Amino acid sequence: MALNRGSSPTSSLFKKQKHSSSSPPTAASYLSALSQADARARNAKRGTPTSTPALSISSSLTASTEDTVIAEEDDDNSDGLAVSVGRPPNSEQLYTTVHTEFGHCYDEEYRNISQHPLGEPIARHVERDPPYYILLSTYISYLILIILGHLRDFLGKRFHPHSYRHLMPHDGYAPLNSDFDSFYTRRLKQRMDECFLQPVTGVAGRTILLLDRYTPDCNQTQIILDTRTRALNISSYNYLGFAQARGGCADAVEEGMKRYGVTSCGSRLEGGSSDLHILAESVVAKFVGMEAAVISSMGFATNSTFIPALVSKGCLIISDELNHASIRVGVRNSGAHVRMFKHNDMKALECLLREVISQGQPKSHRPWKKLLLIVEGMYSMEGTMVDLPSVLTLKEKYKFYLFVDEAHSIGAIGPHGRGVCDYFGVDPRKVDVLMGTFTKSFGASGGYIAGNKALIDRLRIRGYSGAYAEAITPPVLTQIIASMASIMSIDHNVGSTASVNKLGLQISSSSSSSTRQLVSDYYHPGPISQRALPNWLSLPPPLASGAEGFMRLRRLSFNSYYLHRGLDKLGFITYGHPSSPIVPLLIFNPAKMIMFHRMMKDRKTPIVVVVVAYPATPLVTSRVRFCVSASHTKEDIDSVLRACDEIGDVLDLKHGLSKGERWNIDEVCRRAVELVHIPDNEH
Amino acid sequence: MASASSTLDTVVLSIAHSLSAVERTFYKLPGSAIIERYVRSSHQNDPGRTFLELIIFFLVVRTLLQSRTRADRNNGKNFIEFTEKEIDELVDDWVPEPLSKPLDDIEAAELAAIPVIAGPNGPHPTLVNTGKPTINLASLNFTGLANNEHVKQRALESMRKYGVGSCGPTGFYGTFDVHLQCETDISDFLDTEAAILYWQGFSTISSVIPAFCKRGDIIVADRAVTLAIQKGMEISRSTIRWYDHNDLHSLEEVLQSVEKERRKRKGPLTRRFIITEGIFERDGTMTDLPKLIELKEKYKYRLILDESFSFGTVGRTGRGLTELYNVKASKVDMLVGSCAIGLCAAGGFCAGSRTVVDHQRINSPAYVFSASMPPLLAVSASEGINILRDTPSLLTRLQDNVRAARALLDQVESITIPSHRASPIIHLYLRSPSSTDNLLHPSSAALVSAKPSNPASPIARDAPVFDIEKEERLLQEIVEEAMAQGVMITKAKRVRGLEITEARPSIRLAISSALSKADTEKAVHILVKILKRKVR
Repeated sequence: MALNRGSSPTSSLFKKQKHSSSSPPTAASYLSALSQADARARNAKRGTPTSTPALSISSSLTASTEDTVIAEEDDDNSDGLAVSVGRPPNSEQLYTTVHTEFGHCYDEEYRNISQHPLGEPIARHVERDPPYYILLSTYISYLILIILGHLRDFLGKRFHPHSYRHLMPHDGYAPLNSDFDSFYTRRLKQRMDECFLQPVTGVAGRTILLLDRYTPDCNQTQIILDTRTRALNISSYNYLGFAQARGGCADAVEEGMKRYGVTSCGSRLEGGSSDLHILAESVVAKFVGMEAAVISSMGFATNSTFIPALVSKGCLIISDELNHASIRVGVRNSGAHVRMFKHNDMKALECLLREVISQGQPKSHRPWKKLLLIVEGMYSMEGTMVDLPSVLTLKEKYKFYLFVDEAHSIGAIGPHGRGVCDYFGVDPRKVDVLMGTFTKSFGASGGYIAGNKALIDRLRIRGYSGAYAEAITPPVLTQIIASMASIMSIDHNVGSTASVNKLGLQISSSSSSSTRQLVSDYYHPGPISQRALPNWLSLPPPLASGAEGFMRLRRLSFNSYYLHRGLDKLGFITYGHPSSPIVPLLIFNPAKMIMFHRMMKDRKTPIVVVVVAYPATPLVTSRVRFCVSASHTKEDIDSVLRACDEIGDVLDLKHGLSKGERWNIDEVCRRAVELVHIPDNEH
Repeated sequence: MASASSTLDTVVLSIAHSLSAVERTFYKLPGSAIIERYVRSSHQNDPGRTFLELIIFFLVVRTLLQSRTRADRNNGKNFIEFTEKEIDELVDDWVPEPLSKPLDDIEAAELAAIPVIAGPNGPHPTLVNTGKPTINLASLNFTGLANNEHVKQRALESMRKYGVGSCGPTGFYGTFDVHLQCETDISDFLDTEAAILYWQGFSTISSVIPAFCKRGDIIVADRAVTLAIQKGMEISRSTIRWYDHNDLHSLEEVLQSVEKERRKRKGPLTRRFIITEGIFERDGTMTDLPKLIELKEKYKYRLILDESFSFGTVGRTGRGLTELYNVKASKVDMLVGSCAIGLCAAGGFCAGSRTVVDHQRINSPAYVFSASMPPLLAVSASEGINILRDTPSLLTRLQDNVRAARALLDQVESITIPSHRASPIIHLYLRSPSSTDNLLHPSSAALVSAKPSNPASPIARDAPVFDIEKEERLLQEIVEEAMAQGVMITKAKRVRGLEITEARPSIRLAISSALSKADTEKAVHILVKILKRKVR
């Protein structure tokens, strides 16, 4: 890989096809191109492996009327990313996606339904501790880094005062950034800058094109080269694989842009609202099973601008200690009191609730006006899931209001993809406020808040997104509507609502496993009526019928379970719930993070990973965070597991299961299906 | 007696025996000699000293044993101990307020009257509310980029290359080449060293401020800054001093008083910032930038300038205030603008030196913790800049329309217009008896300048008094009447009670170069007629 970086790609490696964007190729011609490519690929597989260098595609930025044709056009598959190696489709199944964006996986075995077994307690997350020598060496590594950093600062300030100018007061100005505040950034983070801010291009789907870069001066500057590397992407928030530039949703977005333009000009209350906004909000409300919803143009701002509209002075917010930064900003802007409880610990929460309700407001002991509990459905760094049934039991007794941030869980879990409520089979209306984002599962952007109609109407005029922030743009709205509708499935019979509901129940009962005995509290809202969607929106049959959406949900669940349990069986320490698509793998030592990142990227099949360290995590528990997607095939997860297995041996990362209990990598890959279907509590 | 004394003897003996055993084991312990030496030297034949040492020892043990997590439980007399039963009773008795009050009739009516556009937004949109086409003086489409076919085409092409969402925060594979391109385009356009893109205009400034201003720093801000700035300052926890709205004399006085305060306290040199807006969101007034730069350089402050409403709307090619006043953009330390408003795309940016920009890439919450902007919107922003650069006629047309509108509006006696003559957003205040606006009474102006306002308080000494509810209601009637007659206008929407000081109710017109001069005049004429009839 390293050799390839310097060399410029030859033009024979890829072909370009001119096509004017105003008249895109018809679906039929597109599909036939795909199947041809597939046939070629299968022939190539049988033939001798090519010895061409690893794939690196360059596409010109400026020549926009040209578009590089899907990677399948390429006969070179030495990185194993361009063509599917799984079971080929049978005659009824057709390629509807580009393999590099959304992997082809036709094996119905590799599916799973994400659902909590009703009535059973939630499997507690057990934190496994590493051996003491790992902890000790981690602390020592940080100590060495800190001592070295201070030494460099000390010497540098004396011998190179010029490069420290921005940290010293000069000319009557205080430094913009004191050297104490920036110490971590300069002396620790900068050493591993190659793991961050990697520029990319193309679709952030199953694979991603990295712009190669190098640094001549120890990460002071990064120079971007004009070569590209295609890598397996197990880092982007693309849970349902809707990050696609082709296919039904993208076609819908194109139509939406033609009709509504690119921007919405102004805030929602001041002339930036269109009928598309109203429509999208009703679709979102229906999707999450609430009365109404309001959409904001930025996920971060959804929390930071709507929480202050819910609570004010004299109210108390109880917040999980691992809540996201956007919640903290919102809480601070609200002026309410805040107390934190230990992550996901229901006993600690109850203890705190008893204390705060009995004590009342500090000093005055007046009763609180209201209590708002803010938890996340799924925690972005840990992959843990909130114990919603227990929270709801507490809610009944202690009368607090519940705000669930479903940024990572909406779309990602639950048999119907409706988030934690769906997963645990509880009625979403028992939760007061459901918040979520469109970035993670729907390939769009922005966020929503859903609740009862009175609440949402209040938020429309009191949340400051409505009056001051720009409205969300039409292309993003169309993507939201199209992707949500394809998960919900569209009901074309413009009949009465009663028949719609009947159909909905039918689908839900046929989709759920037959072993279910308890009746779920969750009322599945069923397919969405065509009338509730824009009349110009036409999705291709696999999307409209919900078949593809259902397939995506089950593939995501399979992949999540498989990666979680595979890593476990290989002997790694992982965090989180197995059904969460976020899979953190603990690395501990800071130096191993950068090596892990580099070794994954420099493999024959490059894999890009996210490594997170202090301050996003506690000092010792540095980790790599995989984000599984429905677009990954079983073979992709295999290759991630294989890579982890090899690198884990080199870097000494396997501190989980004892040697006797571990499986070897081939066994894990072979018994994947069996691994996935072990019940949660027996694992 | 003898038996008693013998038992006593045995007791004493055994005590002496065990004591010596303890002593022996003590000396066997490693390091016991050190402790012995310490005790000897500290005792020095003075039991008082030993007693003191013992007290200190017990205090240390007590402190160490105390649980640190229960600090607020034990913070003195305020904690009341309850039995479990009492707590249960208290829990049962507690009745929380409802999470939200339902809207009252006036609020519901106002929400229902929000204009909703059927189809694309533009100069002549059709409203869902009335079903009729209207002339748009409400949406922010100053240079008409929203309807540009070329931008749309480029956005479509990039959607076919990148998809819609970026699927990740910038740190982790969310930095697309088009984001970097757009940042370069902005910094080239403004001629600054670098620029950084944010995904929402509103969140830009409220995240830029806490990235730089920390506890102990000093912020000097205008009294009428927009809510986004107020929220940013709130997060920053810096010391805030206020100066009178758009009054640079007042600013200088505040700067001097801050300097005096610092000399008196002999505190260390802290970061100091002036935060203000180019064209104010609240009333459309414009800052005198050259004077401001002069002051900031004289008193060694850094300037955070929010150009959300001036970038893309004033100056020969829309570069904003810096172009209008012919000031180098690099003189402004942090120049914040909005791509959503000025370029009709989405998001915002902060331009400045490389140090300033790189600092934000790690320290700015809305940048770090948020998924990046959809690539297609970054492309539309880049295209918007290209169009502005190449077609100065867009800006001249905008100014022509602004002049035409102002010419008509200036004749109306029942309103006052605080906005600057070149500002494309025009705020209309009611000149009604409910207000004792000092602008209207020249006699009170002398009174105002006599005593400066307290810089620590956001409320000016002689703040105008107005009846918010009454004015809002009247303005709402005017807005609805205008919409019925085919002119789409809006009140400046506020969240009452959340801003530090209440803004005066106003109608906010947004002039656009996408409208012809005749259409602008026609629309403003209709509005003027309504104003003349409704407000006396």
